[in-house]
Amino acid sequence: MNDVVLRAEEVRKSYDGLEVLRGVSIEVGRGEVKVIIGPSGSGKSTLLRCLALLEPVDSGSVHLDGHELSGLREKELAVHRSEVGMVFQRFNLFQNMTALANVMCGLVEVRGLKKREARERAREFLARVGLADKADSYPEELSGGQQQRVAIARALVMRPKAMLFDEPTSALDVELVREVLDVMEGLARDGMTMVVVSHELRFAHHVASSILMMDEGKVIEEAPPDRFFASPSHERTKRFLALVE
Amino acid sequence: MLASFDTHIFWEALTSRPYWHGALLALELTLVSLAAACVIGFFLALGRSSRFRSVRGFVFFYSWIFRATPTLLQLLFIWNGLPQIWSTFANDWFKPFLAAFIALSLNEAAYMSEIIRAGLLSVDPGQELAGRALGMTRPRILRRVIVPQAIRIIIPPTGNEFITLLKLTSLAYVISLHELLTAAQVRGAADFHYAEAYSAAVIYYLVIVSVLMAIQAQLERRYTWSSAGRRRRVPVPAVAHDAR
Repeated sequence: MNDVVLRAEEVRKSYDGLEVLRGVSIEVGRGEVKVIIGPSGSGKSTLLRCLALLEPVDSGSVHLDGHELSGLREKELAVHRSEVGMVFQRFNLFQNMTALANVMCGLVEVRGLKKREARERAREFLARVGLADKADSYPEELSGGQQQRVAIARALVMRPKAMLFDEPTSALDVELVREVLDVMEGLARDGMTMVVVSHELRFAHHVASSILMMDEGKVIEEAPPDRFFASPSHERTKRFLALVE
Repeated sequence: MLASFDTHIFWEALTSRPYWHGALLALELTLVSLAAACVIGFFLALGRSSRFRSVRGFVFFYSWIFRATPTLLQLLFIWNGLPQIWSTFANDWFKPFLAAFIALSLNEAAYMSEIIRAGLLSVDPGQELAGRALGMTRPRILRRVIVPQAIRIIIPPTGNEFITLLKLTSLAYVISLHELLTAAQVRGAADFHYAEAYSAAVIYYLVIVSVLMAIQAQLERRYTWSSAGRRRRVPVPAVAHDAR
């Protein structure tokens, strides 16, 4: 069954009079991986933040597992945010906590788990991203790739219904990109529902269920990777792909 | 040439009861005023970025009043003026120490709010964003993530404020609080051995500030988040990997 986990409908969003999203709709089915590409300023990150419930939408709606959440107030939203995992370009690990404490944090502070139980589960998820031996290291002492893997574990440990990635590898040195993509590919294989903003086209080709092209606050094209790369229908997409590759 | 420095009188003053009492009083006053100023200053700092205009206006007005007027005037105002305009304070329980505490903490809060604000602003906004994405509420993000990181930035200037405040306590001399400077003044005037009397007070101030500096260094290490910064707290076993 391919039910819809995350859905945005006709989302509009402006900052200081500038319309960043001009009526965007997206539907992500369970286990699907959607990759969003597009030039900077096209609204990719804003869309992701709206899906992560971090930004209220001006109009339109965001639904998670069939429930509309875009109308809720800040206090009620907090709980629902924990049901969507978010991974940022700049990792944003809590600098004052060890890798383990970063992963435990949501379990203790949001889910109210006992420290002992949270620690056990956090260790399990650190091991899953291959960083069991870095549990006691502070973010400052980890490489960019390691930090991003901890950030992924921090989001995963909450057992989210979907994972959102906002250019997860673009702040990384070239040789560290692979380890992060490997973790993400593993997640996709395990059936995690994912929305990924990324210009790693090979990754997109490999794991995406479909690829979305955004430009000027709109989704201008969506297609499965084979069709998307082989015969993009939109002129803007062709030009963009030519530039990225 | 030490023509008339009587070391005996110096030692006698240094170890006398009014001195260490006065020093203790100055230290107490500094600590409680600074603690209160940190609490008031924290809320003033939050108030400065409040979405309510009236709150922002109040914070501006507060720091304007307390920074634009001399501390000595504030001290005298609280001690002499306050009981006149508010009869509750025209009472026996309103002692010089309390008056000095109120004046110094209100005054210091105006400065601490700026320091704390700078500390809070220095924390990468991505930290709060990550906390919100995890589902944490704003108070929890403040307590677990932002405040601990801001403290690292806040410690050094707060050390400076401690020193300033310690010296400001000597102003309480004018409202007859028997702090350290009062002790030195009284001792000096007794037989005109001012050099000895003041030197003894100098020693006390130096000792207090030195102890503070040591504590500050400890605190800074405590709020450094790498194992390098905490090496002393986490001893590494001596054998390590050589055995293999």
